[in-house]
Amino acid sequence: MVSPNLSLYLTIAIYAVAAGLVFLSLLTRREQLQRLATTLIVIGFVGHTIWIGTICSTTHHPPLTNLPEAASFIAWVLIVVELALLFRYKVQAAAFFVYPLVVILLATAAIVSEPFSPPNPDQTSKIFIGHLLLTMVGVSALLIGLAFGALYQMQDRAMKAKRRGALYEWIPNLRVLDLVSYRAMVAGFAIYSAGIMAGVLFAYNRHGALTTFGAKEGGALVAWVAFAAILQSHLSGTFRTRKTAGLALLAFLAIVVSIFGISRG
Amino acid sequence: MTLTLIGVNHRTAPVELRERLSIAKGSEADVLRPLASNGGIRGTAVISTCNRVEIIVSSEADNIIEPVVELLAERADRDPEQIEKHLYVLRHRDAIRHMFRVASGLDSMIIGEPQIGGQVRDSYQIAKNLDTLDSTLYALYEQTLHVAKRVRTETGIGEHAVSIPFAAVELAKKIFGELKGLRALLVGAGEMGELTAEHLKGNGLESIVVANRAYDKAVELAGRFGGEAAQFDSVATQLEKADIVIVSTSAPNYTVTAEQVRQAMDSRRRGDIFLIDLSVPRNIDPAISEIEGAYLYNIDDLSEVAEANKAKRLEKAAQADRIIEKEVDAFLKRLATQDAVPTIVELQRRLDEIRQAELEKCLRKMGPVTAEQRQAIEALTTGIINKVAHYPIIRLRESASAPNEGETIRETIRKIFGLR
Repeated sequence: MVSPNLSLYLTIAIYAVAAGLVFLSLLTRREQLQRLATTLIVIGFVGHTIWIGTICSTTHHPPLTNLPEAASFIAWVLIVVELALLFRYKVQAAAFFVYPLVVILLATAAIVSEPFSPPNPDQTSKIFIGHLLLTMVGVSALLIGLAFGALYQMQDRAMKAKRRGALYEWIPNLRVLDLVSYRAMVAGFAIYSAGIMAGVLFAYNRHGALTTFGAKEGGALVAWVAFAAILQSHLSGTFRTRKTAGLALLAFLAIVVSIFGISRG
Repeated sequence: MTLTLIGVNHRTAPVELRERLSIAKGSEADVLRPLASNGGIRGTAVISTCNRVEIIVSSEADNIIEPVVELLAERADRDPEQIEKHLYVLRHRDAIRHMFRVASGLDSMIIGEPQIGGQVRDSYQIAKNLDTLDSTLYALYEQTLHVAKRVRTETGIGEHAVSIPFAAVELAKKIFGELKGLRALLVGAGEMGELTAEHLKGNGLESIVVANRAYDKAVELAGRFGGEAAQFDSVATQLEKADIVIVSTSAPNYTVTAEQVRQAMDSRRRGDIFLIDLSVPRNIDPAISEIEGAYLYNIDDLSEVAEANKAKRLEKAAQADRIIEKEVDAFLKRLATQDAVPTIVELQRRLDEIRQAELEKCLRKMGPVTAEQRQAIEALTTGIINKVAHYPIIRLRESASAPNEGETIRETIRKIFGLR
């Protein structure tokens, strides 16, 4: 067993400072603070990668088999996607959602401090590993899509009401928000669906049943349906409605239940 | 070297005087050459825009105000006393700060406006071409342009629109991002509508359709924007193809109704629509605000955006002034160090002259010496004068940034060592 090590604590501290800085930039309206936060996130990401590497080298399997591992890995993918979007679209605003979420996920990993799961026959199965990887990456992309969708809703309402919220200046134009949110959702939904199918296939091979209904599976199913409905609202042009905002919240909660359900096996 | 800035601007002088003082493009030499030939003046330059005429002078002496005022009075065809009350005279630190503020747009009528940066750059280029700049003014201009760039980058003071047409452009960009590829519909031929369409076009809008009750006027306007004219009763169909709609008519009722927009949104394959109502009474039905994907702003909404941005620019101006104050300190230090350089060079030259003369005398008395011996004596004497000069040079450099103390130390050292 390896307890959360120094690199994890350092990473959490750096990410927490970065999250604090982006919120401080809201009050002071100083762009330099956001740039400093991005630098810290990049530094923290190095520590985060070391932590993920530690898990892999210790357990000889991907960091996906219990709550601390999965939370760390999802946070890691979220940072990768956030940084990619930042460099591609120069969009800082998602940081207001993503950084705190990443801090919460890593803090969960540190607090739960569950032992790394020992190697078991399941983890040698390519379908099982594929299921875990695809699900985690899909979830990360969907969370980013939700963050951008939330920004879209905020900005749309601000523009309609002719009021400038605190985030008004930081949020990019509606077209970019729509584009990024939609693309992240489409990619995330496809990957997530593939992940769920791989999970079902693995469960069938292993247990002779399509699934075992626990919190993890229930959460995943609800999230899948909610994301499908959100995507449909994108396609039909009704994604600005309160109904879609409600669906997004439901999808987010279902994902949280699903992640926390991992520790229950 | 002292810097002095003498001038008038929109706050100190009425337009009648400013237009008399203004220096037409190409005639700067008429002002700069006579000043440059004045014995006390080392360098000079002029900034002349519609809001200001300012002459900056670098000089050894303090009494250079009179010739500058006389020259300005002559140009304005007024007695010096008549224009003096409108003039401001800024000395050294204040002059430097003023240059930095002017180039950054902080002294402009519309705070943060960008044109002034280019005008200061032009004035630099003109003085450079006329060869009326000394090293101090060269350094001042270089630093001024650097500070203006820094202020704009770090504060973003010029980023927010402070006029109604620009506010409309800013909002359109907040919805669509780039305006490239977008199509606008201009309904009516009101002046503000034209101006807004012109700004949108200048920001990359692809095409404009103009609809007006008087079709001839629509054709004329469309020609000006490189767009198409449309019949006034085709507005409803044109809505289907428009991303931005500007309405500026004097009609007493709604020219664009909620029903028309709802139908257009249903039948079109385009995304959002931005409607700008510049008419009073309003010509676009306010109920359109409730339609998904339709963003409606009337003239009051746009004025509010512009006013809020003005307040924001004032906030940024305070931030810019803090940057400028630091830059003024840094530049003054640099200038003072520059002032110490001639004394240091002269001191070193004077000591070396003494060394050479004494060395020659000594070598004559000593008779023939080998090359190695001569080299050793050279090294010894050079070492001695370097040691002697070491502390005076250090003091000269250290005191350079304190204007009064620096001057006293320079004067004392010049007297002690008999420098010119």
